[in-house]
Amino acid sequence: MPATDNQGSFLNRISIRRNQVVSMDGNHEQELEDLELFQKHVADRFADLLSQSEDTSGDGLLSISWLRKLLDVFLCCEAEYKAILLLGRDPSQISKPPLDKLVPEFHDRVVKALDVCNAVSHAVETVRNYQNLAEIAVTALEQRPIGDGQVRRAKKALNSLMILLEEKEGSNHKSTERAWSFGRRSANATTSSSKDRATSASQFRSLSWSMSRGWSAAKQIQAMSSNLVAPRGGESSSPALPVYIMSTITVFVMWALVAAIPCQERNGLLTHFPVSKQLGWAQSIIALQEKIAEEWKKKKEKNRLAGLLEETQRIEKLGVYLIEFADSFQFPPDADRLEEVAVQVAELGETCKKMEEGLVPLQQQIREVFHRIVRSRTEVLDFLDQGGKVTASTM
Amino acid sequence: MSDFSSVLSPHEGEIHVIAAAQHIVKALGANKNLDDELRKILSQLDSHLSAMTVLTTESRGTGFREVEEQLKYAEEKIRGWESNQSLLWDSDEFDPLEASEFLKAIDEIQALIEGLRSLSVNGNRKQKELLNRADSILQMAMSRLEKETIHILVKHKQYFQPKNMSFRSCALDVLYDESFVSVEDIPSEEALQRNSREKESDEYIFDLVHPQVIPHLKSIANVMFGVNYGQEFCQAFIRVRRDALEEYLVILKVENFSIEDVLKMEWSSLNYEIKKWVRAMNIIIRYLASEKQLCDQILGDYGFVNPLCFVEISKGSLAHLLNFGEAIAMGTHEPEKLFRLLDMYEVVADNLLDIDALFSEEAGTAVRLEFHELLRSLGDSGRATFLKFGNAIAANASTRPFLGGGIHPLTKYVMNYIKTLTMYCNTLNVLLKDQEAADPNPVVEPENGQGVSSITHCQMACHFRSITATLESNLDSKSKLFKDGVLQHIFLMNNFHYMVRKVKSGELRLFFGDEWIKEHIVKSGELRLFFGDEWIKEHIVKYKQHAMSYERANWNSVLSFLKDGDSPGLCSASKAIRGFTIAFEEVYKNQTGSSIPDPELREDLQISTSQKVIHAYRSFMGRKSSSISEKNIRHSPDDLQNYILDLFNGSPRILQSSRKK
Repeated sequence: MPATDNQGSFLNRISIRRNQVVSMDGNHEQELEDLELFQKHVADRFADLLSQSEDTSGDGLLSISWLRKLLDVFLCCEAEYKAILLLGRDPSQISKPPLDKLVPEFHDRVVKALDVCNAVSHAVETVRNYQNLAEIAVTALEQRPIGDGQVRRAKKALNSLMILLEEKEGSNHKSTERAWSFGRRSANATTSSSKDRATSASQFRSLSWSMSRGWSAAKQIQAMSSNLVAPRGGESSSPALPVYIMSTITVFVMWALVAAIPCQERNGLLTHFPVSKQLGWAQSIIALQEKIAEEWKKKKEKNRLAGLLEETQRIEKLGVYLIEFADSFQFPPDADRLEEVAVQVAELGETCKKMEEGLVPLQQQIREVFHRIVRSRTEVLDFLDQGGKVTASTM
Repeated sequence: MSDFSSVLSPHEGEIHVIAAAQHIVKALGANKNLDDELRKILSQLDSHLSAMTVLTTESRGTGFREVEEQLKYAEEKIRGWESNQSLLWDSDEFDPLEASEFLKAIDEIQALIEGLRSLSVNGNRKQKELLNRADSILQMAMSRLEKETIHILVKHKQYFQPKNMSFRSCALDVLYDESFVSVEDIPSEEALQRNSREKESDEYIFDLVHPQVIPHLKSIANVMFGVNYGQEFCQAFIRVRRDALEEYLVILKVENFSIEDVLKMEWSSLNYEIKKWVRAMNIIIRYLASEKQLCDQILGDYGFVNPLCFVEISKGSLAHLLNFGEAIAMGTHEPEKLFRLLDMYEVVADNLLDIDALFSEEAGTAVRLEFHELLRSLGDSGRATFLKFGNAIAANASTRPFLGGGIHPLTKYVMNYIKTLTMYCNTLNVLLKDQEAADPNPVVEPENGQGVSSITHCQMACHFRSITATLESNLDSKSKLFKDGVLQHIFLMNNFHYMVRKVKSGELRLFFGDEWIKEHIVKSGELRLFFGDEWIKEHIVKYKQHAMSYERANWNSVLSFLKDGDSPGLCSASKAIRGFTIAFEEVYKNQTGSSIPDPELREDLQISTSQKVIHAYRSFMGRKSSSISEKNIRHSPDDLQNYILDLFNGSPRILQSSRKK
């Protein structure tokens, strides 16, 4: 990723030059130049993400691989942000307006982001459950010759999958009737009783993969974006700008993760948060935001269960198809139909493989983001502490 | 077992094949050397052979009759159990024979399937139908086994009960608060708890599922993995065991907090949650050793599946413990948090080897690394908190003199604080050592002299002395707030004396000898060793000096009235007595209000005062008895002696009623 390559040299340049510059005026000029460069990098990185979002081979917008790139971008931007905020700066500057207010606000925001990271990380575990169930269906339906046994095995797994999908993702819309019908139909069609269905639904309800009671991802995102205001006038070239840029990036990244991955309580998730349209660096972020909002709307309209994660959507689509196939299955199977099904099964297998390869690294990356945020926050607070005079924010 | 050879019979076409084969054998017999080409053809032929023997059955549909019979038999058995509501492995009516019959029926079906499947390249309708039926029954049986697995695991779950499960300190305990209004001494219970924790570190493995059902679970796993239903088995197993662990966390009262919640939490509740966390960490890691054993017992034969399942079972619960730890480490560095932070650090450090062992496999890498990361964060936070403690002492400013000149709460707080810290000696030394490597101006003093206990020169001891030096200079500025120079001395004397007493306390333990003390240093809270005898001597001199200065500043002016003047007349002697009496009463008024809390120190000062004052008074009276009029003597020497005993008690009194005519 080009962004990563820039990072090292950029940081070196800043620190070397900052050390050289002594006079205040020169320092200010330098700061403006660094800020310029930071904006350019942010713009470039998100432009990259925007262009990748067009990918139609399954690695496009909100796919696992796209999310992983998004997190990479976050980490790169964060490193640069911190350099701009701290290098060559006097702690007392951060304790003066406008930073005295903006930095604590930023820290409030990142603490919320940490909880979002945890919720997303828990939710990735749910997505891995989808994957496990889909894999059973693939195992069963790949067998030849195919018969009632295989089809029933696949259907059992897919029904559990649909129930789980509904439970984890269905809360976004009230009309879940269609979803329930999978459960009902299968319950009637096979020997499994409604009791089985109930138990299979609760099978995946796990305490440890949830956040504290009453915690809501949607509310966190709302709170994170509520006081996000672009610096105006004289402040727009001051250190207030990098804080605003990084805040916007943080909110955007967390929002995209929540939209994609079935976190606890996504009801009422914002479809839009204000980003000033005049800012050059924000153009791609705004475009991406619109695209994701569009997807979110589509999901609601079409009454789909799955969240926006590309792979989950695919699993839902293929799952629905395969359940229909299973419901109408009669032995001996029709050869043409089997060929059609084989294509779908292969696609499901392909999707499972992507998840197998991508979900654990994604989870690790989320954890990396988590630790990075914690460390940077500590560094800034320590930096302020060294300044001595400032009472550091408790958050 | 079906015997497929039974459906075979010689067929006309085969006769040709047999003839050809015989021909080959003959040709091979003549030629001892095989060239590669021939070897390849022959080995291809070889791999075809087994398939060919069964291929021939296709033509004889009637040969399936026996297969069908066997299938029917197995199917009946399985369907029979299926219609029966009660579970096979139900503990109340468990019939080992029936269970093994069921597994045997599955084996039979599996064998039939394998046989039928190997025929299937151009299988006829009958064969396909039979295979379909067999697969279908197998699926039914597997679905049943999945249910049975869950049932057995749930029904025979056993609760992990370590010896020391009680949680006595559930009640909110005494707080250290930043106002420095602290308790006199550290609750000894805390020390007890720490010791008991060390004692019961003996590990033992507990059976989380009744050992009696382990073979059943194993045989079910065996069957399910054998027919490629391993995924279903693992899912069921993981689900039940994960839930059991979560349930156990609930039993341990570990709650689920967001980081935001933790950062906003009141210290008193946080303190309570941390204690629960420390206890839970200790227990859960031991619990996991038992869980690991269970996984090994049941999944040990299935390679990487085993560690994978173990990680799946445990990582959710561990994620919660990890996050709470990270959240605590992120908090602000108030001094009162230090002990809890060190508790947390120690419990992670103590368990780290076990964690590394439990999660040694690739699947557990992330969990393992997270705990190492947590240890680092807690260490950083603990160190920062300790260093900040010194700053807090320096920064504690007063605007008003401390009433009575007694022992300032800051002094008590600091001394009790560092006394408690001796229990964390080893940990704190590790943390401070890390820091000094990076610090250009270390606090560590140069090693001086030989034979000095190494404890006196460890990182913590150096920091202790630097902290008390900070405290002393703070007390110095606090003493300046007294307008009365005399009270300044009383105040400093009191506080230095208290410091010395604290450092010297536990002196009795010296009887046990140096070795014993070194061994028990962590538990004994032996500050003396950290400060060293030099420090003590120095500070005894300090408070004695203040005591002397007090006497000089205070009593010399009073006693000056009794000095022999040049005018020995009656008038001047009476005047001297009057002057002395007024001065004494003034001192009495002031110094009954001042306080020396330590009874011994108070007594010492009263005695020396008494000796000085009463002696001077008596001898003056003796010398001038003739020239003093009775009415001028308000207090007898004995009265004065009693009055002196009222001094330094911290309750102001006035001498009035005792006026004698």
